[in-house]
Amino acid sequence: MGLINSSKPVPRLTARESGNRPQPPFHPMKVQHFGAVALLQFPCMFRKVLIANRGEIAVRVMRTLYEMGIASVAVYSDADRTSKHVRMADEAEHVGPSLSGESYLRMDRILDAARKHGAEAIHPGYGFLSENADFAAACEQAGIIFIGPSAHSIRMMGSKTAARQTAIAAGAPVVPGTDHGVNLQQAREFGEANGYPLLLKAVAGGGGKGMRRVDRAADLESALRDASSEAERSFRNSEVYIERLIQHPRHIEIQLVGDQHGNMIHLGERECSIQRRHQKVAEECPSPLVEQHPQMRHAMGEAAIRAARAAGYYNAGTVEFLVDQDRRFYFLEMNTRLQVEHPVTEMVTGLDLVRLQIEIAAGGRLPITQQQVSWRGSAIECRIYAEDPYNNFLPYPGKITRLSRPLGPGVRVDGCIYPGWTVPMEYDPLLAKLAVWAGSRADATARMLRALSEYDVGGIRTNISFFRQILEDPAFRAGELHTGFIEEFFERHKPPQPSADLTAVAALAAAIHSQSRRAAAGAAPVDLSSAWRADGRNQRLR
Amino acid sequence: MKLELSIDGVDQPIELLRDGSECRFQLAGAPERRAQVETPEPGVYSILLDGVSYDASVEETPNGLVVVVRGFRFEIQVRDPRRWTRGASAAGVEGPQTVLAPMPGKVVRVLIAPGDTVDTGQGLIVVEAMKMQNEMKATRAGRVLSVAAREGATVAAGELLATIE
Repeated sequence: MGLINSSKPVPRLTARESGNRPQPPFHPMKVQHFGAVALLQFPCMFRKVLIANRGEIAVRVMRTLYEMGIASVAVYSDADRTSKHVRMADEAEHVGPSLSGESYLRMDRILDAARKHGAEAIHPGYGFLSENADFAAACEQAGIIFIGPSAHSIRMMGSKTAARQTAIAAGAPVVPGTDHGVNLQQAREFGEANGYPLLLKAVAGGGGKGMRRVDRAADLESALRDASSEAERSFRNSEVYIERLIQHPRHIEIQLVGDQHGNMIHLGERECSIQRRHQKVAEECPSPLVEQHPQMRHAMGEAAIRAARAAGYYNAGTVEFLVDQDRRFYFLEMNTRLQVEHPVTEMVTGLDLVRLQIEIAAGGRLPITQQQVSWRGSAIECRIYAEDPYNNFLPYPGKITRLSRPLGPGVRVDGCIYPGWTVPMEYDPLLAKLAVWAGSRADATARMLRALSEYDVGGIRTNISFFRQILEDPAFRAGELHTGFIEEFFERHKPPQPSADLTAVAALAAAIHSQSRRAAAGAAPVDLSSAWRADGRNQRLR
Repeated sequence: MKLELSIDGVDQPIELLRDGSECRFQLAGAPERRAQVETPEPGVYSILLDGVSYDASVEETPNGLVVVVRGFRFEIQVRDPRRWTRGASAAGVEGPQTVLAPMPGKVVRVLIAPGDTVDTGQGLIVVEAMKMQNEMKATRAGRVLSVAAREGATVAAGELLATIE
């Protein structure tokens, strides 16, 4: 469904005050295609947007900006000068050294870059400054639009306990627990009243830091001490609260989108139960559980909207739920930004979430009502990481020597890599998101397996072949998912052994490769041995 | 020609006869087989074996070759028994096993000292990158000749960390 109703070409209106910098002559390049520009609904539609991020999400946002006829400004650190997002952007600005604390997290430098380039709005992507209320407020003060919710909403949903309280006030179900940090005495009382196992969580937490499972009362004291000191180290906030532990939960989340005029709808759920180290690696829409129990979508959607409304929320956001084995769902937290896994929702609903975000930030109204949202088919996403799944998912940065991407029906790749690029060691090793769509979950699974078989990344290790095993797994096929799926998978599953023919093919390729390398080295005028000789001469001269 | 291969740590000699794209080969004493091999892209070999089509990607790393076929990854070291020149090690690895940093990072732990005996798969040195720790393991058994890695030192990709005999 198209979001913009007018097909009438309109002249570009002078956008918001963009400083005293004279507007550069209209870009001769990438954004000059007026057919896609229809700004009638948006008197303030931006002409230029800065993306305060890097990697695949910066590339993802730029794609929509291009389609909307909006110029893009990239920011980059020392490590990212030749990264895809810089090459793809219309304009780019250096914001500091490789460490993100000195570049992508520097609000002052990001805002300076926006002013210098005359960007009227900033898209924060995910991670970095995307859920930083101070940054949203600083943008507002600088007269630059933050493409996201208000600083107030971010604060209300920012800490886990504040979000819990907001959810409780809105009548959304939460996992039984304390709504504030606890001391040992309070923790003991909770354990006696609610029983074990229970879960200790950092108030300021995220990513599993400061989290401890406690199975017996005897372990409580040391677990609380460990969780608290880990929380202090990770978040400079040692406060820890308690929740009852839900065994084998599913992680199912609801995508929300609301405008600044009080309209809010949900775009259904995503199942994100396939996780490693508390981080999602594969997501799908619809959830296989919700597919069997369709009333859950409505119930969770309504609960999510209530919680978000209580925080005065607008723009795109996601409410995460844990679902227990009796299909009861509990509010977990709200992510006040675009999610990594948004493509599966886009594929099934036919909407462009980044475009909606930009239109809402520009003051536009939601183009559709809840009744007009429809879900068609099934989509699955795999996060392709530079990591070694058979060595504890350790990151594997390095130079990409070879790249062949899956193509063909129903395949989408949101990536940022190219052959010859070195994956920097400073950042999250997400290389690309591979998403597929098909009419049913079974067909989408088959399509994903096909796409994975076409994906070839050389020079580094990736989790591509690991996903092939996950998607072949009978439990995955049956939709029997929970957040401990990968751990259990490793327990019942040994890495498959190659057949004798595969080994023979590999041996043959290796033998022929080294043979031809030697022949080439012998024939070439400058071969390795002469390079060594030259090097040896230089060494002797020193 | 004859080549000594070490495939994922297991020695498997291969004997190979080539006539253009037609190959006859014998791996680790198994019966002779025929295959057809083309190189459609540098480092990529299209191999037809008994009518089955395979694409094998070959990559040169400091520790030898990495070959990927149908999602399976093989680490292969190639040695030509007739040649003992140092130049030959460019395409494979021979003599002492060298432990090289697979990525840029920081050495956080050194688990071996010169003179130690190590087994295949034993942890040698821990390198940290992206806030994650990565343990280098011995690809075959031997005795530690030298240890260049120092705890706390920053290393570049391919930098020598230790040698094992």
